[in-house]
Amino acid sequence: MDLTLNETQEMFKKVAADFVKAEVPAHEMTQWYRMKETFRPDLYRKTAEVGWVGMLLPEKYGGGEAAYTDCAVVFEELGRGPVPGPLFSAGALGAQIVFEGGSEEQKKSWLPEICRGELIPVPAFADTAAAWGPESIETRIAKSGDGFTLQGKKRFVFDAEAATHFIVAARTENGEVALVLIDRKSPGITVNRLIGFTVSAAEVVFEGARVPSSNVISAGSGWRILDAALEKTLPLLCSYQVGACQEIFDFTVEYTRSRVVFGQPIGRFQRVQDHCVDISIHLDAARWATYETLWLLDSGQPAKASVHEAKAIASEGYHHACNYAHMVFAGPGTDYGHPLMAHSVLAHTLYQYLGTPAHHKKLMMDELFPRAR
Amino acid sequence: MDFNLQEDPPELAAFRREVAAWMEENMRGGDHLRWSASWSTRENEEEYHFRRNLANKLGRKGWLFPMFPKQYGGAGMTMAHQVVLETELLKYGLSLSHVFYTLARIVAPVVLKWGTEEQKREFLPPMARGEISVWQVLTEPQGGSDVANCQTKAIRDGDDYVVTGQKVMVGHHVAPDFLWTLVCTNPQGKRHENLGWLHIPANLPGIEIQPMYLMMGIKNSVFFDGVRVPAKYLVGGENNGWKVANTHLELEHGGDGRIGVDPLVERVIEYCQKNEAGGKKLIEDERIRDTIADMMLELNTLRRFNQRNFYHRFARKPHPYGGVQQRYFQRMARLRNGERLQQIMGVDALVQDLSVHEVVDFEYAVRTGPGQLHGGGTLDTDRLVFARRVGLGRPVFEKAPETI
Repeated sequence: MDLTLNETQEMFKKVAADFVKAEVPAHEMTQWYRMKETFRPDLYRKTAEVGWVGMLLPEKYGGGEAAYTDCAVVFEELGRGPVPGPLFSAGALGAQIVFEGGSEEQKKSWLPEICRGELIPVPAFADTAAAWGPESIETRIAKSGDGFTLQGKKRFVFDAEAATHFIVAARTENGEVALVLIDRKSPGITVNRLIGFTVSAAEVVFEGARVPSSNVISAGSGWRILDAALEKTLPLLCSYQVGACQEIFDFTVEYTRSRVVFGQPIGRFQRVQDHCVDISIHLDAARWATYETLWLLDSGQPAKASVHEAKAIASEGYHHACNYAHMVFAGPGTDYGHPLMAHSVLAHTLYQYLGTPAHHKKLMMDELFPRAR
Repeated sequence: MDFNLQEDPPELAAFRREVAAWMEENMRGGDHLRWSASWSTRENEEEYHFRRNLANKLGRKGWLFPMFPKQYGGAGMTMAHQVVLETELLKYGLSLSHVFYTLARIVAPVVLKWGTEEQKREFLPPMARGEISVWQVLTEPQGGSDVANCQTKAIRDGDDYVVTGQKVMVGHHVAPDFLWTLVCTNPQGKRHENLGWLHIPANLPGIEIQPMYLMMGIKNSVFFDGVRVPAKYLVGGENNGWKVANTHLELEHGGDGRIGVDPLVERVIEYCQKNEAGGKKLIEDERIRDTIADMMLELNTLRRFNQRNFYHRFARKPHPYGGVQQRYFQRMARLRNGERLQQIMGVDALVQDLSVHEVVDFEYAVRTGPGQLHGGGTLDTDRLVFARRVGLGRPVFEKAPETI
């Protein structure tokens, strides 16, 4: 047993922390979130240059061949920003889908481009608002000439605005799930940003958009591929949320020292202390669930139930950490100029993204205790 | 990161085999006596003797305190050895840190930290061999959380301290060999500087123990009426009791850490696979599955907090607030799980099942939800300590006391 980060991980952590400090200063970051201009092409290019895009992939495809935990410490620091951009959606999940399901030719041609940050493949799979399982895939794919066409509406595509391409999950004529890579500039694709208490998300509409045959990643076993890619990358999203919770905890603790009311720092009030205890519990519950899952993946043990558990705990944790921080910060925490607002809107978005905690708890139970048929 | 508790480095494989064989031999015929918390409140004599006897046998091999130096009754082993012992015992639902029916798991490390060489040589070996049972007696009738406001007096008179006062809500159904306690050695002294810590032989004249019937089972009142305690039983020196208390409380308040899985979920699953409602097994019911999932997530989180604290303790990497965080979470989770059990199995959650150990009895779990909210200090003291350790509203934060 050794519950510490190793030297490499400590180094990755420091590099990432310095990067966040230099490239994502709070006064700029808060404005990106306020204006919903969260895709920063320069920032994404820089993260690719440092080697964080496709970090899990083998070197022969341009990846970093990093261990899950190595990669996760980077995501944790990025979550502290919170650094926006498609580093998870395209750089981890999208890349992993291509790696899991693509032909050797597709991998050779797409993955190095993905790792350089030039091809940004954003997954678009759920058509419905409140489901993320295979049942949520309704967009139809149909044969047309020497290629295919897509017809349907993906309700919640995270990082859609950053996409150069979408990885679309669609129903074939016989009801199977296909996966295709489609150029965002193809005629028949509309990206409608979602306006509200969410960020970096859009509805993507496909109206007869054409996909060449060479861009089909899977003709019928798309769900299995998605599932495999999610199992390996969701823990990185959890780490991102852990980092975010840590940042919230740290700036909230600091605020209890500097904010004085009724003649004393608010941290001397037990009610305020209670909120901080609650933040710490969500933070550390998420941190250790995520670490344990990463360890299972790194040591080649079955991790599926644990991945779902970590996603449930981390999304719930980030959401609640924000809520408790709002109790401490009161008015000033609702100002879009305050980092808490960026976290708050992102926490609600990530609570939904790729499935709510309830969804993942259900999947955990199904994995551990399969239902009678 | 390595959470592994089962795969040992090659040099430990033989040790695991040895422990496994030893446990098999010594648990023979004791299948119905699996499972343990610090003690059972059921006053089962057979279980009491079996477990004390087992502790004694483990202790003679140095395995109760495997990391303690040999001269004090330990085995001078490493954390990896301790993990092997913990995990092999766990197969029988037992745990080293519960050193059966005694609080030696906390007392012995405190003696190791604060005792004189003479005291260590005298007090530790019998504890480490599992021969004696020690009760922690801290709470007084006027209050528990404000431990430093201790009214039990111990006034020096020649070679003795004369102890007078009362402690409440302590121990279990069989009287102990020693009472481990905080006393006021200087009634005129400043708060925190007027205390002493005594390791009192329980058979001294003037000590009377009376049972109290509580929500969580039998506990006791201990009366001291002019009890003459030889000065050699003072641990940590004159008027230094508060420092000793800090080490003790850090261990008691979650800082001791633990390895192991709460067996409750396993039993809930078993129950839900066996029982039906409306012709459908409970485990197939969506609502019940959701409730079990919530329970499981919290118990897994607790398991990870425990393992984290265990690691930090034995790797000597003090965690500023890990102890109280675990403890606060553990008690709140227990309370929530009590309600979940009622939602899952209805009235069965309120009826004792004597065919299983109380650690996995639903009724016990429900009853001790509210019943164990206060033991060793309230939820509020947990959160107060947390605030100090993090430095909420303060320019500096308090370090966690050193433990062993």
